[in-house]
Amino acid sequence: MDPFLITVWVVRLLFLALLYLFLFRIAKALVGDLRAAAREPGAELGRLIVVASPGGEPVEGTSLALDAIATIGRDVNNAIVVEDQFASAEHAILTFRGRAWYVEDLGSTNGTFVNGSPVQGVSPLGFGDVIQVGQVRLRLERPRSDRSRR
Amino acid sequence: MTAATASGLPAILGPIRPRARGRESKLLALVAITILVGSVSLELAPRVADPGESTGLSLANPLHVAIYLGLIGLAHLVLILSGRRMDQVLLPATAMLGGISLLLMERLPQTLVAQDVGPWKLGLGDVQLAWLVLSFSLATALAVTVRNDRWLRLYKYTWAAAGVALLVATYFLGDEINGQRLSLSLGPLSGQPAELLKVILVVFLAGYLSEYRPLLVEESTKVGPISLPPLPFLAPMVAMWAIALGLVVVQRDLGAALLFFTVFLFLLYAATGRPGYVIVGVILFLAGSFVMYNLVGTVQTRVDIWLDPFKSPTGDGYQIVQSLYAFGRGGLLGTGLGAGLPTVGGNLPIPAVHTDFPLAALGEELGLVGVLGILGLFLVVVERGLRIAASAADEFRALLAAGLALVIGTQALIIAAGNLKLIPLTGITLPFVSYGGSSLLVNGIIVGLLLALSDRGVEPPPPPKPRSRLARLTGRVTRLETPASARAPLPPGGGTR
Repeated sequence: MDPFLITVWVVRLLFLALLYLFLFRIAKALVGDLRAAAREPGAELGRLIVVASPGGEPVEGTSLALDAIATIGRDVNNAIVVEDQFASAEHAILTFRGRAWYVEDLGSTNGTFVNGSPVQGVSPLGFGDVIQVGQVRLRLERPRSDRSRR
Repeated sequence: MTAATASGLPAILGPIRPRARGRESKLLALVAITILVGSVSLELAPRVADPGESTGLSLANPLHVAIYLGLIGLAHLVLILSGRRMDQVLLPATAMLGGISLLLMERLPQTLVAQDVGPWKLGLGDVQLAWLVLSFSLATALAVTVRNDRWLRLYKYTWAAAGVALLVATYFLGDEINGQRLSLSLGPLSGQPAELLKVILVVFLAGYLSEYRPLLVEESTKVGPISLPPLPFLAPMVAMWAIALGLVVVQRDLGAALLFFTVFLFLLYAATGRPGYVIVGVILFLAGSFVMYNLVGTVQTRVDIWLDPFKSPTGDGYQIVQSLYAFGRGGLLGTGLGAGLPTVGGNLPIPAVHTDFPLAALGEELGLVGVLGILGLFLVVVERGLRIAASAADEFRALLAAGLALVIGTQALIIAAGNLKLIPLTGITLPFVSYGGSSLLVNGIIVGLLLALSDRGVEPPPPPKPRSRLARLTGRVTRLETPASARAPLPPGGGTR
């Protein structure tokens, strides 16, 4: 067979092979990402970021992982303890039911606010919303599912 | 926030703190090698028929390949210098698609697009290279400069109004080509607003759905066995449906209508996780399609061609028949770059090969293996988008990232399936591959926004507005007379156990 024709076909097949090598390398990277995500302990349902905390506890800027039920208040038995003179011992409760988060005020003296409006009964909560307990403001964020290097 | 405004320009660009992007470097090296080999393969093709004297290997158009690869390298460098933690797979995947597009446009007859700019006569390859350069520059610029999403998030109704205005302007002022008014001229510039509209649509839907998600998920109106969204929220769904149908009736733009409605349903499902909404949407779609089939001639022609293109293989069914032949000639491994597409009487068998049928040309020259590889690249783009969405900090960003990626994926799917006669053909572009300035620029915007969104934790979302409108709709959250008081410090002595 003509050596030139063989060269031509080698180049043509090399192009396709390289395209697939590229896809293979990407696939490897993606699988690595997924493994890293799967290794993370316990799937979180959301996080609370401390936006403002004049009392110093919790520390401003910290990010707290949430379980399906999280109570907020001054008492040490709460999942999230807030050191604030305007917060009640058992102030509010966050619950994840089905597909969405809810917040309920537990009869606190000063009330619980979502984006500036007081919470009445069980109220749905979206990611990005800011909850105010006493003077402490907390923002609900989506869980960090992917902490692998990018 | 005060620090950001005080420092001025550096707040936009940030201090230069380079961050290595190892994975991206390796993948881009592979892209460069692949495109170079492709270029050699392209150059060899005409010499098979007419060997001539030289048998050495050389590039088809060294200058174009050098400019393109140089630009991608530059984009990579800028991303490294920006120091942001951004996705490292998106740029290589789209650069590969753009490179394949460049190879294809070099290889098609340059007279398909002829433009005179000053002293230069530009052909198809030159113009496509220019648009690719602009597109990737735009993507890089957005990736580096977009540090918050306030301007998208807070003005969703403004964006929606701008989109509708764009549509209306196109209808009244647009240029008519082949009975469709799709492009709008502004002085020497002309573009297809429907391309930009898809980004605006995603921005609006992401804003709307993230605001009302808690209610869309929870409340429903039961109609027989299926549960519908609460009635006030059905309105946007019906409006979307009406806009899609309006696009068909008024602009005869089947591709855009199909794309918009599909992306809308995808996002609605992504936001709520409720299959009921999608089922209702599909029923609406089928009903609308049936009515359109009976009312609008264009729809009827397209569907009839799809059902049996061989009824008039030289008339209406010509393009799709030639496309099927091209895929057939390609077989498993293809004829090799540059060796396909025999001319019929001096013309290409498929007239719109550079805009609507690039996949048919690639199917012939790279075969089934090559087409699957290219579809794989689109799959990678969608996967990255969904991953960025999954790790986004709040719902607006999540839905925005998912929507932007799904726009690219859905568009590729619609036109690929159209070329292969799996669904009726609709004239939209194959993202990053088709010739066309508007399409490439908008795809550049999408990639730039996705890259910027993949950098988590730069700036928190802005404080949400009080839920007054939402409260009025549901009555669940009573409205406070002075919403501002909640933010103000509480009166002293109010604290208690």
